Amino acid sequence: MFFDLNVPFDLKWTANESQLPRILAFLSELGYNVVALNHTMSGKLPASLTSAIPDPLPYKDLPPKLTILRRCTLVLTDTHQNARLVELSRNYDIFAVRPIDEKTLQLACSSLDCDIISVDMTQRLPFWFRFKMLSEAIKSGKRFEISYASGVMGDSGMRRNLISNATQLIRASRGRGLIITSEAKSAVACRGPWDAINLAAVWGLGQERGYEAMTKECRSVVVAAQFKKTSYRGVIDVVYGGEKPVAVVAEQTEKVKTNGKQQVNGQKRKADAIDVSESSTPKDEDGRPVSKRQMKRQQKEARLKATADDGVAGPEAAGAGPKPSM
Amino acid sequence: MVRLKHRYLLVNILYPENAASSATKPKIKDEVPYTVQFHQPTSDRIDARSLTQMIRSGVAELFGDYGSGMVAASLQIKYFSPATSTAIIRVARDHYRLVWAALTFTTKLPHPANQACVFQVVRVSGTIKKAEEEAIRRAQRSIRQAQRQGGLKSATPAPDAAVAATRTSVDAMDVDDRFAHGIDDADEDGDEDEDD
Repeated sequence: MFFDLNVPFDLKWTANESQLPRILAFLSELGYNVVALNHTMSGKLPASLTSAIPDPLPYKDLPPKLTILRRCTLVLTDTHQNARLVELSRNYDIFAVRPIDEKTLQLACSSLDCDIISVDMTQRLPFWFRFKMLSEAIKSGKRFEISYASGVMGDSGMRRNLISNATQLIRASRGRGLIITSEAKSAVACRGPWDAINLAAVWGLGQERGYEAMTKECRSVVVAAQFKKTSYRGVIDVVYGGEKPVAVVAEQTEKVKTNGKQQVNGQKRKADAIDVSESSTPKDEDGRPVSKRQMKRQQKEARLKATADDGVAGPEAAGAGPKPSM
Repeated sequence: MVRLKHRYLLVNILYPENAASSATKPKIKDEVPYTVQFHQPTSDRIDARSLTQMIRSGVAELFGDYGSGMVAASLQIKYFSPATSTAIIRVARDHYRLVWAALTFTTKLPHPANQACVFQVVRVSGTIKKAEEEAIRRAQRSIRQAQRQGGLKSATPAPDAAVAATRTSVDAMDVDDRFAHGIDDADEDGDEDEDD
């Protein structure tokens, strides 16, 4: 399983002239299994925080074996309210932040609730990575991103900055908690997973660590992000509750039926509300519950009938007596 | 006397973009499935020598005089098939990553072709034999894949050419996906290959 958790999604792309199907097909060809489309936001958050990436995508020939996720990257320029960020991250599969200076990096590493910390590596950074800061983030499940496309397609200055920043990040994080992504705006900038791992190996990340950065770490990001949304306070998640789908449907329809009858009656009885199951209370032909007095009367009738017939059909009649509705 | 050890890189040249820029080549229609588009045959104007030249300049650009000096003596293209866009490159074992990185940073073919391309190293092997076997296996697999996707479109030249180029006794060995991107990193010539 190889992951590429950063494929930029441009909102200006229209359905017929988009590069995206080609990029996705090419990534699938290179051997990736999971791809995340990235939508980058900066500045103030818009009023409605719905996902900007349409679901399902408006392209027809997408590679069938490729899993497509949605990711949102927020540039940390000014202070954001944490509640709004939680709401934003709920609309995407993965939530990433891009710190621009040391203060925001510190914020992202410590208190901010995000999945990926993505630093712009094409520029000379005005700060150093410190192990203490990074390890704090990695311990809480955040991952740092290295994107190689700017080095592949950019000029030598960008490539130099990328290599410098990537080696610093590898050094400061001691090779742990990194993920390698493409951030490829065109198909030419994509590279095979093993090529990217080799590149990281040249930059000082061991081959094993590089392999993890392409597979295991990315998976942990995806799973943790999913877990955050579906589980109860990020602790417990019901994966399979042992329910049988057919039985559930039957029960629901039954409930609907009884509710309908109550409304027709126009009365709300306490006994009905408590005793929902139909089998426990016997009912008459109209489906109304039978009162105790009525039940006793019926039983007496049945007994009398049984003694009258006496032995011809006695036991059966006596057995059937108390439950006339069956 | 210690033997000089090598690595053999099996390289695929992929074409992520349609060849609209090169004038002589007919433009492949958009209906052709993506897989076949990506595995186009390479232009005839590219040969092993120009490819070597390209790699040398790439290494020099990335790693400077040190890199090109380290790689220069051992670098050689052992096999190049334009029909399948496959090549086997030999490098000294200690410095194969330099060549690999240079290939990764290459975005287009050298001068006469000037076509956007992506080099994907699909196998690193200690022996040329294993690299050859993998090349054959992959060629067969790509033909089968193209047939599945395109429903046997005869308009595409790539599959037929590929059959001719892989000069082999075709034992119909079905390849599972495990092999697709396995990088073998055997240290000794006689070692068993293990895929990951």
